[in-house]
Amino acid sequence: MSRQSSTAIPNSDETVGLTSVLVRDAYLTELLKQCQGLIQVIEPEVAWMQEIRDRAAAWVRQSTIPTTRDEEWRFTDLSPLRQIAFQVETQSITSLLDITPLTLPEAANSRLVFINGVYAPDLSAVVDLPDSVVVSNLTGLPLEYRSRVRDYLAQQQGTQEVFTALNTAGITDMAVVWIPKNLVVETPIHLLFISTASGTPIISQPRCLVVAESGSSVTLIEEYTHRRDVAEAAVYFTNAVTEIWVEENAQVNHTRIERESGTAFHIGKSVIAQARDSRYTCNAITLGAKLSRHNLEVFQTGEQTETTLNGLTMIALQQLADTHSAIALNHPYGTSNQLHKCIVADRAHAVFNGKVFVPKAAQLTNAGQLNRNLLLSPKARVDTKPQLEITADNVKCAHGATVSQLDDEEVFYLQSRGLDEDNARKLLINAFAAEIINQLPLVSLRERLSTAVSKQYSALSLKR
Amino acid sequence: MSATVNTLVNQPYKYGFITDIEADTIPRGLSEDVVRLISAKKNEPEFMLEFRLKAYRQWLKMTEPTWPNVQYPKIDYQNIIYYSAPKQQKAKLNSLDEVDPTLLETFEKLGISLSEQKRLSNVAVDAIFDSVSVATTFKEKLAKDGVIFCSISEALQEHPELVQKYLGSVVPVADNYFAALNAAVFSDGSFVYIPKNTKCPMELSTYFRINSGDTGQFERTLIVAEAGSSVSYLEGCTAPMYDTNQLHAAVVELVALDNAEIKYSTVQNWYAGDENGKGGIYNFVTKRGLCQGVNSKISWTQVETGSAITWKYPSCVLIGDNSVGEFYSVALTNHKQQADTGTKMVHVGKNTRSTIISKGISAGGSSNSYRGLVKVNPKAVGARNYSQCDSMLIGDNAHANTFPYIQVQNNTAQVEHEASTSKIGVDQLFYFSQRGISAEDAISMMISGFCKDVFNQLPMEFAVEADRLLSLKLEGSVG
Repeated sequence: MSRQSSTAIPNSDETVGLTSVLVRDAYLTELLKQCQGLIQVIEPEVAWMQEIRDRAAAWVRQSTIPTTRDEEWRFTDLSPLRQIAFQVETQSITSLLDITPLTLPEAANSRLVFINGVYAPDLSAVVDLPDSVVVSNLTGLPLEYRSRVRDYLAQQQGTQEVFTALNTAGITDMAVVWIPKNLVVETPIHLLFISTASGTPIISQPRCLVVAESGSSVTLIEEYTHRRDVAEAAVYFTNAVTEIWVEENAQVNHTRIERESGTAFHIGKSVIAQARDSRYTCNAITLGAKLSRHNLEVFQTGEQTETTLNGLTMIALQQLADTHSAIALNHPYGTSNQLHKCIVADRAHAVFNGKVFVPKAAQLTNAGQLNRNLLLSPKARVDTKPQLEITADNVKCAHGATVSQLDDEEVFYLQSRGLDEDNARKLLINAFAAEIINQLPLVSLRERLSTAVSKQYSALSLKR
Repeated sequence: MSATVNTLVNQPYKYGFITDIEADTIPRGLSEDVVRLISAKKNEPEFMLEFRLKAYRQWLKMTEPTWPNVQYPKIDYQNIIYYSAPKQQKAKLNSLDEVDPTLLETFEKLGISLSEQKRLSNVAVDAIFDSVSVATTFKEKLAKDGVIFCSISEALQEHPELVQKYLGSVVPVADNYFAALNAAVFSDGSFVYIPKNTKCPMELSTYFRINSGDTGQFERTLIVAEAGSSVSYLEGCTAPMYDTNQLHAAVVELVALDNAEIKYSTVQNWYAGDENGKGGIYNFVTKRGLCQGVNSKISWTQVETGSAITWKYPSCVLIGDNSVGEFYSVALTNHKQQADTGTKMVHVGKNTRSTIISKGISAGGSSNSYRGLVKVNPKAVGARNYSQCDSMLIGDNAHANTFPYIQVQNNTAQVEHEASTSKIGVDQLFYFSQRGISAEDAISMMISGFCKDVFNQLPMEFAVEADRLLSLKLEGSVG
């Protein structure tokens, strides 16, 4: 309940003093040092990047890793993270990897793969796309785009935040997706980030920049996963940042899947700027990681935008999954619709905080938000806070939140139709998840996730 | 239409007069000596002085909370008068006739008649003027049923064991910054004790009046309902108009034992400051009820129309199995008023139930926030909560915020939360005018419809009053 959060979201463009003498958080400084260690040669075309990095680094030096005393992190305790000394991966092991089970048939030839945050050209394939579409890492970017990136990279407004700044301070490479004007890209684009950590704890900092120019349309799958052929014991930390620019009348369908290993830490941020008449859909699926946090921020920069946010969190064991979303509707005639669902089993802990800002300018806005939580076991825990901040009077805004277990009557109904109790409960859980899964744009993804739901809860004895 | 609305809103505050009365006032400022002085003035038993000193020492270590969604200049705690009482000739009054006639007149003017004979309604009143209780009516009649209803200073003299047992048991001395301040310096308040299996024969009510310009009012109310008893209690508040802000930091503690029921209603109409936000009361209040016994029930109903800043969260801690907590609230803000209010429902016992109905109306340049917590502890099997918070915005400079916290640690719990924001539509007004109803009447009708769920919970006489109060407050604000 900090005062910051209750007024407008502060702008990240605030100038930050570059000189800082005091080290406020030794752990954070060490992380920063690690991440900056990867920065090698600065090519002349991207010399301006150093400025961005320096500015972010200065900010990191003045910050500390948030604790549960910070309102935004009240329910997510980062102290387990602090106990691990993460290092950056310096070697590349790309070609040894079989990634077939992780790829998507629909996007077989429109895929970028990063291993531990490092671009893997031999695993990526970009052939199926129209020539004018740019899907590349930073070094592979056509020359004219390198300078254009400057206008977009780290230029998003949004809450200034230590992990985002840490990512920016260590930018070496990134995935760039650039859709030119009035082009509708039918083929989905798959950005795949794989962690292969084993032994030393690794920190990787993936970064994506997506620009959909006016009138264009694209379907984007952003996926964070881990190598499946090794035991899930390695500890690693993914600190991802994705910036998406949806320009006038453009359309972006963004699916973000987080399936990190059960021992991993994942902190991700997605910032979206929506120009007038644009449409943006986010399907955020959280399945993995021991501790995960997704900050999703949508900023409206013009009138009459449409925003749809679907979220599904499915966690078990001792997982903690935290989603913080913020939608700032700063112009009239905007529509936003959010549905976030959590299925929580065992001793897992789900956190949801959804903010909707409707300032005075945003007349005739229509904003809806619903958070539904399903608790499957007695020790499961949910902390939710749907939050509306409204100043405009001619608006329609509603939000809701529910927490419950499976309804006995529904289970009984299915039993009366001949299902046994266990299957009845599984069917109901699948149905609960299906409302989100069915929104996904690819058939293969829908199937993969439905299987994941069944698998996730098959181990669980659902009988009461 | 906005012109009509504006003229409607700017209804003067009719309780803003000042009573010129000689007062016994201590110097400004707060120190351990002041705490001792207050305690000595009230001739309190030793345990009270310790209670106060403990609170004061804790308070020194605490910092003022900054998380509420309200803004105000820093309060200078050394510039407040912590004790002010109208001077009385005699130490103890034998009957109401001995009360200073100016005081009686003041309350008369406020619509509170202290002369019992003239009272028609079945309500016992404890009238509190600045720091002290002036009179309590119907005491004898209540005593016949064993009900104790008196000021807390009187209770400390006559029933110290009861006070000692329950005071601070619901809101500990160091619960929060303002509660600690209150515990250190509270001057008076009401004390209610309902014995076993007794239904309190009449409505109990306390009327708070701040008169002095620099006095903080720190009152403390304690209501104890023994097993099987029930009581309905109402508080009302007004203050004169001053350019300065006055601090009101009260603490209310309710204890309901097995099968007991407490209904606590508030109609708060402190001076809210002028249209530019000058003056007005800072209403920083801690209210909490403890459903200690099985099947106990605590119900809060509040109509918040006054105060420059309201910061209060009447809460229920549901410890007893099957206990019930309810919260019904209408919070109206206009001009530059700020309200950050809501409730906390903490489910501890099995099959505990809670209901939250909150209606916020914000007009002018005011800010109205609902902040609520629904917490289900791991052992609260079968807990059930339903929350609904609706906001109505009048004019496009008003703010309406909701910050509901829902924390569930038990899978058998069922928690639902709904919130919506709306305005009075032009088409709705048109519909009314078609039927020959003026915009003003239409608005007041719609507002009372909007608040009906809450007003229905108020005792009859007060529901009418609250309805009227709301339409007065809003006059001229819709457009």
